[in-house]
Amino acid sequence: MPLLAAEGVSHLGGYFFISSAMFVLGIFTMVTRRNAIYVLMGAELILNAAALNFVAFARHHGRAGALDGQMFAIFIIILAAAEAAVALGIVLQLYHHFPTIDVSKPDRLGD
Amino acid sequence: MDAFMFWFFGGCALAGAALVALMPKLVHSAFALVLSLLGVAGLYWTLGADFLGGVQLLVYVGGITILFIYGIMLTPRDATRWSLGTLVLPGVLVAVPVAVLMSVAWQGLAAALKPAAPVTSAPTTDAIGTALLMRDQYLIPFELSSLVLLAALVGSVYLARRRKGG
Repeated sequence: MPLLAAEGVSHLGGYFFISSAMFVLGIFTMVTRRNAIYVLMGAELILNAAALNFVAFARHHGRAGALDGQMFAIFIIILAAAEAAVALGIVLQLYHHFPTIDVSKPDRLGD
Repeated sequence: MDAFMFWFFGGCALAGAALVALMPKLVHSAFALVLSLLGVAGLYWTLGADFLGGVQLLVYVGGITILFIYGIMLTPRDATRWSLGTLVLPGVLVAVPVAVLMSVAWQGLAAALKPAAPVTSAPTTDAIGTALLMRDQYLIPFELSSLVLLAALVGSVYLARRRKGG
């Protein structure tokens, strides 16, 4: 089955293509940026790509009528919200301790 | 029509993600992230997940983005300037193998998966609510996630408060 099958572009392959591309772009963002907020944005892209993959695969190949993929996506969203709040709190505290949020600069724990 | 919706929302998601990765300014990347998250919400709707698309809109587009904007406003501007050539090579060295891995994985998956059964679209809100409250389905993870959210709430307030003299 080719990735983007001609008989149905909204088939599973299309969703896999889009979620893979989002995943790769998220990794690229996390690796290339030194600003902590960019790193968090890359993490959000990766989480979204994973959740989209769960929903698409469950829709096309899951048990009939089951909601397992959507449930995974809902729990991913719950944990992503918690992660974003805590991580931004840490970033603010990082900025108060060191006058920067460049993730390559802080080099000590504690005082 | 289906294909048009798919490519429209998929294009939004991809273009947003690419702009997040490439925009030189942090605020522009934050708004590109909004575009990407909106595209993913639309893709959920094309998959028949109407409730999930709404949750994506409320939590991601409405909530997490606001957090990011606050994070941007409360931290120094242009702490690191985005320049081509500093970390792009490591980025490509990490991203390209992952992309190759994805396409290899797809080749394996496509051979293994049975042809998809035709799916019907029905509103999912009622079914999701029932599944979350059934003891043999998702009740335990649902209650545990409320604990996680409470811990994250208290923890983030504790972390983000300004310490006296520090």
